[in-house]
Amino acid sequence: MTIDIPALLVGAILLAGLYATMSYGLALIYGVMKIVNLAHAGVMMWAAYAVFVLIVNAGLNPFLAPLITVPVFFLLGMLLQRYVVRRVMFAPPISSLLLLFGIWLIMQNISYLGFTGDTRAITTKYTLMTFEFLGIAISINRLVVFCVGILALLVMRQFMGRTYMGKAIRATAQDGDASKLVGINTDRVMEIAFGLGIALASLAGSLMALIFAFDPDFGRSHLLKAFCIVVLGGLESMVGVALGSLVLAVAEALSVLWIMPALQDFVSFALLVIVLIVMPGGMMGLLAKLKKT
Amino acid sequence: MKRIGLLSLLCSLILVLLILPAAGVMAQPKEIILGAALPITGGQSREGGYVKKAYELAIKEINDAGGIMVKQYNKKIPVKLIIYDDKSDNTTSVQLYEKLVTEDKVNVLLGGYGTPLITAHTVVAEKYRVPYVNGGGATGAIYERKMKYIFCLIASVGKLAHTLMDWIGGQQNEGNLKKPLRIALMGENTSHGKEFRQGVLDKAKAAPDRFQVVMDEPFELNLKDADPLLQKVKASNADIYLADARLADYTTMHRRYTELRLYHQVVSYGPRGAEKAARDALGPASDYIISCNWWHRDIPTASARTFRDKYEKAYNEPAEWFPATAYETVRVMAKAIEDAGTLDKTKIRDTLAKMDMKNSLVVGGRVWFKPNGQIENDYVILQNLPGEKVSLIYPKEIATAKAIVPIPKKQ
Repeated sequence: MTIDIPALLVGAILLAGLYATMSYGLALIYGVMKIVNLAHAGVMMWAAYAVFVLIVNAGLNPFLAPLITVPVFFLLGMLLQRYVVRRVMFAPPISSLLLLFGIWLIMQNISYLGFTGDTRAITTKYTLMTFEFLGIAISINRLVVFCVGILALLVMRQFMGRTYMGKAIRATAQDGDASKLVGINTDRVMEIAFGLGIALASLAGSLMALIFAFDPDFGRSHLLKAFCIVVLGGLESMVGVALGSLVLAVAEALSVLWIMPALQDFVSFALLVIVLIVMPGGMMGLLAKLKKT
Repeated sequence: MKRIGLLSLLCSLILVLLILPAAGVMAQPKEIILGAALPITGGQSREGGYVKKAYELAIKEINDAGGIMVKQYNKKIPVKLIIYDDKSDNTTSVQLYEKLVTEDKVNVLLGGYGTPLITAHTVVAEKYRVPYVNGGGATGAIYERKMKYIFCLIASVGKLAHTLMDWIGGQQNEGNLKKPLRIALMGENTSHGKEFRQGVLDKAKAAPDRFQVVMDEPFELNLKDADPLLQKVKASNADIYLADARLADYTTMHRRYTELRLYHQVVSYGPRGAEKAARDALGPASDYIISCNWWHRDIPTASARTFRDKYEKAYNEPAEWFPATAYETVRVMAKAIEDAGTLDKTKIRDTLAKMDMKNSLVVGGRVWFKPNGQIENDYVILQNLPGEKVSLIYPKEIATAKAIVPIPKKQ
């Protein structure tokens, strides 16, 4: 049996774009607030339903739907941080974990009430549309998702590096107390960072809904994968997340040459364990070490 | 002395005359209580919703006719149905079945839906020795635990795979498919998927001149990436592609299958294929997919048609297999009570074990159980056609159309 390795690699690279998009938000919120956002999966799921309504019921173009969902979820994230998450910011980490887990469960149950447990999928004129490149069939949907993943990385890098708020977010992530001393309104910064994290999760959910079928339990397994990627990337770095996504997607894809596809998740979690033991700083830590030497 | 003796006899007689009717009244139940915990919310809520509607429809019909005739009391006794929501959660399901038996004091139990839930809660029915019938848990492993009180109205997943392979063999006999056929086989990594794969492997082993399994892979539920799996399918150079997957995974996999421009002479996802949700999601890509199922609304028997018409009139939605087998579950239980002529749980269980019900709506029209409690009737095979149509292609006696095999290559 000869597997088409170039096709496998192209598929993996396109998948890496999706992985990165679904992990940016988690990394941003952890980086700034040191909170693991368990509600991330719920946000992806709600975003999937939101674009479902916009595309299927309102007839919106599938690639324009995120332009509506992302700002709405940004505001929702800010409000969530201001009125709910802020109250447990300085409590032991288990408080925020439980709180956000509770929010995820509430979101799930609301979806069960509103949409039932039926499996939904979005079908548009782009669904199943492919073009051939060097003999490899490339899906338009997946290519767009990949491009949006890259675009999101570039925009986030510009925002973090060039704007006052971006710099304030980075400063708060490095040292919240010092940031306060130099006059940064860290409460506001955290609010915006949380909003951005939620907006990025909603972007991922909006795009994933174009590829996968979903129900109110959607996002659970993606959340675990996102954890692996964030750790692999070095916890707080956007570039690290992008690199981590690529490494994970390629490792998973190539693993089928040696092990059964049912063990793909084993590859992810084995990588997670290895990274935590051998290079706790993740890809970015490794790159920094290599630079020094 | 003689007078005292006579007086004692008289007193005893009065006492007996007083107690007997009272005892009779006390023992005569006002209603027969049937209980079930269904996944009304949570991941299985769609299927659980169908089952609930079907149970309610069947119970209403029984009560409209005065109830179930119980010979022991020489009268018809109305039926009360208690349904709880197990939220698609195994632990909750077990707790609710415990409650139904210990607090609600049900006479008999009706099943929930789905292999994991049924595997979990059937233990309760067996522990308390309460007769239990379900129409939604096909996995044969549930019934291989030597339980005596558990009965199931849908045939095993292993039999599903056998039926599919027999049908493919029939297509070979007709010259529509070559011999031997190279098969790419996949199944979700659950007892359902394992049983399906094993069923195909058994048939392939028994007929190596007909079948050659060139790829056999399990996959995890909730696939994030079907690419590696499908690249293996492509590399296997198989003639036909058989998989067992749930609705979400079937949709994700077949979308990717189409994007990768794969082609096989027969494509089947086991029991999946004809669902409206999947056809909406896949569009023309779902045309010609073969599915093997426990029931279909086009089965041309009077009982199947009657149910279809009643259900569709009552709920204004197409009758799928989920409500059909659930509806029949209630009828089978009612017949078992009536035939037993008592509410004694052991006697009802014994009647179920010996049951031979004719004119049922199930495929083949006959309900009888193997010693393990599971039915052994036929499956129907369906094929999706363009324009969201579905044709019934097997068994031949009830087929509404001839199968289109090999399936046409899509443009």
